[in-house]
Amino acid sequence: MSKHPSSFTPKGLYPAKTKWITTISLLVVLGFYLLSSFKTDSFIVNFFVKLPNVFGLISDFFPPDWSYVSSIWPKLFETIHIAIIATTVAVIISIPFSLLTANNVTTNSWLYQGMRFILNIIRTVPDIVLAVVFVGLFGIGAFSGIVALIVFAVGILVKLMSEVIETIDMNPTEAIRASGGNTLQTISFAIVPQVLPQFISFSLYVFEINIRASLVLGLVGAGGIGQLLNTQINFMNYPAVSTIIIIVFAVVVVIDYISSKLREGLV
Amino acid sequence: MIEFKDVSLVYPNGTEGLKNVNVKINEGEFVVIVGLSGAGKSTFIRSINRLVTPTSGSLIVDDEDILKAKGKGLRKLRTKIGMIFQNYNLVKRSTVIKNVISGRLGYTGTFASIFNLFSKEDKLLAYENLKRVNIEEKLYNRADELSGGQQQRVSIARVLTQKPKLILADEPVASLDPPTSHQVMNYLKQINREDKITTIVNLHFIDMAMEYADRIIGMRAGEVVFDGPASEVSEKTFEEIYGRSIREDDRRGGVEDE
Repeated sequence: MSKHPSSFTPKGLYPAKTKWITTISLLVVLGFYLLSSFKTDSFIVNFFVKLPNVFGLISDFFPPDWSYVSSIWPKLFETIHIAIIATTVAVIISIPFSLLTANNVTTNSWLYQGMRFILNIIRTVPDIVLAVVFVGLFGIGAFSGIVALIVFAVGILVKLMSEVIETIDMNPTEAIRASGGNTLQTISFAIVPQVLPQFISFSLYVFEINIRASLVLGLVGAGGIGQLLNTQINFMNYPAVSTIIIIVFAVVVVIDYISSKLREGLV
Repeated sequence: MIEFKDVSLVYPNGTEGLKNVNVKINEGEFVVIVGLSGAGKSTFIRSINRLVTPTSGSLIVDDEDILKAKGKGLRKLRTKIGMIFQNYNLVKRSTVIKNVISGRLGYTGTFASIFNLFSKEDKLLAYENLKRVNIEEKLYNRADELSGGQQQRVSIARVLTQKPKLILADEPVASLDPPTSHQVMNYLKQINREDKITTIVNLHFIDMAMEYADRIIGMRAGEVVFDGPASEVSEKTFEEIYGRSIREDDRRGGVEDE
C-alpha cells in the first residue's frame, strides 16, 4: 500500500531540486554565451546577414584557374615529401619511447612516470605552435616543417603505441625470460610480434595526419603547399587558390583511401 | 643437482610462499609436486629459475646458488632450465618454428636474434624437436591456429631446443582435456628417460601424479609435508597432503579414452 494519502498527485517526473539545478545551469550557460557574443561582437545571425557577401566572394573563386596547376605540383610533392620524412623519423623515434611509456615493460615507476610527463607536455603543444617555433629556429622552409611534424607525430604515436603495448599478453615474455633471453630479445620475440600490425597501422594513420598538418604548417612558412596557398591568398589570386584547394582535396582523399585500405588489411 | 637449503619466500603483501624448504632433487629424477592451489607448488618451481626470488636460504642449481646470480650469470643459468607453462606461453602471432627457435635465444647474440639470424644447426635442431613431438607439419602455421594440446607440444619442442639439463613444468595439463593431458605427460616422461633430463612437474591430479612420478613431493601452506617414492604413495597419503578427503575432481581420469 502507498504511504501517501490517496489525494497525493506527483507534480512532475523529476524532484523539485533537480528541476532547479537544471534551470539554473541552463541560465548560467545562456549567460556565458551572451556575454561571449557581446564581448567578441560576433553573433551567429551574422552568418545569415552576411550571406550575400559570402556568395560574392565564392564567385571570385570560380572558375578555378587550371593553368595554375603546373606550378602546384612541385609544392604539393614537397608537402608529401615532408610527411614521408617526418613520419619515417617519428616512427623510428617512437619505438623506444613507446616501450618506455608502457608500464608493463618499464616497471621502474620513476622512469615510467618521467617519460609519461615529458610526452604529455609534448602533446599539449599544438602543431602550429611547433611550426612557428621551428621556423623561428631553423628559418622558413621544409626543414622546419619536418622537425615540427616529427615532434608532433612522436607525441601521437607514442601515446597510441604505449597503450597497445600495455594490453598485450605478458605470458610469452615470461617464457623468453625463463629460457635465458635478455630484455632486448624478450621485446623483439615476445612483444614486437604482438604489436607490429597495430604499429604499422598507426604509422599509416600518422602519415595521413601529417599530410593534412603539413598543409596548415605551410601557412606559417614551414614549407610545402601551404606556403603557396598563403602567398596566393595574400595576392588575392582566388582562382589559383581554388585550384590549389581542389587538388589538395583530391590528393588527400586518395592518400587517405589508400592508407585506410592498407590498414584494414593489417588488423 | 638441485638443492633447497632452508629456502623461504615472503611475498611483499606478507603471504608466505615457501617456509623453510629443504629438498634435494637428484639428476634424472621425474618429480611431481602435488598440493592444493595456493600450497606453494608454483612458488617452489618458479624459485628454481628465479621467476620469483626467495627471501632467504640458498638454492643450488648445477653447483651454483641461483639466488646469488644476477644479470648475465642468471641468464646463463636459466639456459640450462627449460620451462613449460599452463597457458603454453607461445607468441600466438608468430609461427611455430619461430616459437621453437626462441629456445636458442639464451645462446644467441642480441643483434643476431633480433634479425632472426640463427645458425643452420639451430634451425635443424628446432625442426628435429618438432619432429619429436610429432608436429613438424605445422612448421609455418601461426601458433594460435593450433589446438591446446598442439600448442603444449610446441612448447615442449621449444624447451628441448634450449637443450636444458632440467625441465620445470608448471601445471602443464591443467588447461587440457584428459586424453591430451596423458599425451603431454607421456612426452615429458619419454624425454626424461631418453635424454636423462631431470623433470619437475606441478600437478594437482592425484591419479596422474601416481602414474607418471618417480618421486612425489607434497606441499601444503608453503611447507613440504611429504617426500617419497611414488610407489609408497596411496590415496591416504594424498588425504594427508591435502588435509581433506579426496574428491572426484582431484582425478584427471581418461586413460581409457585414448
